[in-house]
Amino acid sequence: MNRIKVLFFATLRDRAGTKSVDLEIPAETTVQRLKNLVVDEYPGLKETMDTVVISINREFAFDESVVPENAEVAMFPPVSGG
Amino acid sequence: MTDEYMNYPTIFSITEADLDINDLLAQITLTGTGAAAIFTGMVRGETRRDDPHETVYLEYEAYVPMAEAKMKQVAEEIRQKWPTVEGIAIVQRVGRLYPKTPTVLIACTAAHRDTGVFEAARYGIDRLKEIVPVWKKEVGPGGEEWVEGDYLPKPKDRP
Repeated sequence: MNRIKVLFFATLRDRAGTKSVDLEIPAETTVQRLKNLVVDEYPGLKETMDTVVISINREFAFDESVVPENAEVAMFPPVSGG
Repeated sequence: MTDEYMNYPTIFSITEADLDINDLLAQITLTGTGAAAIFTGMVRGETRRDDPHETVYLEYEAYVPMAEAKMKQVAEEIRQKWPTVEGIAIVQRVGRLYPKTPTVLIACTAAHRDTGVFEAARYGIDRLKEIVPVWKKEVGPGGEEWVEGDYLPKPKDRP
């Protein structure tokens, strides 16, 4: 198992009710699989998953990306800065 | 944060402080600089276009370390596209910001105005709104709502 940290921002933080969570996930878990694991933990995030943006160690990641040991994952909606 | 690129100043930061436009401009002005294009956005209290509404304030938040890394990437993209650009400043203010308050600044300097500085600053703000992880919650007379962008990053958005 790999230990990782998942950060939530904006709408996702509100819906999850927390800024971050530490998770233990199987080695070789992909981003797609991680999304499912997170929705299992936080059902309120389900409808955000169609447009969620994911980063691993502060760089954009995609469904097929593998989440490494000790990763800092972030989940957030499309950005709206400026 | 400041990053030296062939002696050209590059500033990229997320801040809770007032944007000091004169100070930022001074920091990216070199002895050979003769032109600067500065874009700044501010909180609009009254929106007339599209969905007309009033705004009491905006609450900005950022994923600071990634946001600053992505701002640095935007600056590097500007330098690739417009090698004539000298200084670059990209600054996003976060926190609770009221109408008329400047929220973001993108400034590019160059020797002359016909070197692409206008386009470079335009590119900078457009790109910030695509890939820099910052969000705002809009608070109006009737309630609050997160503003969501519409850009989904692609593999090409990694440096």
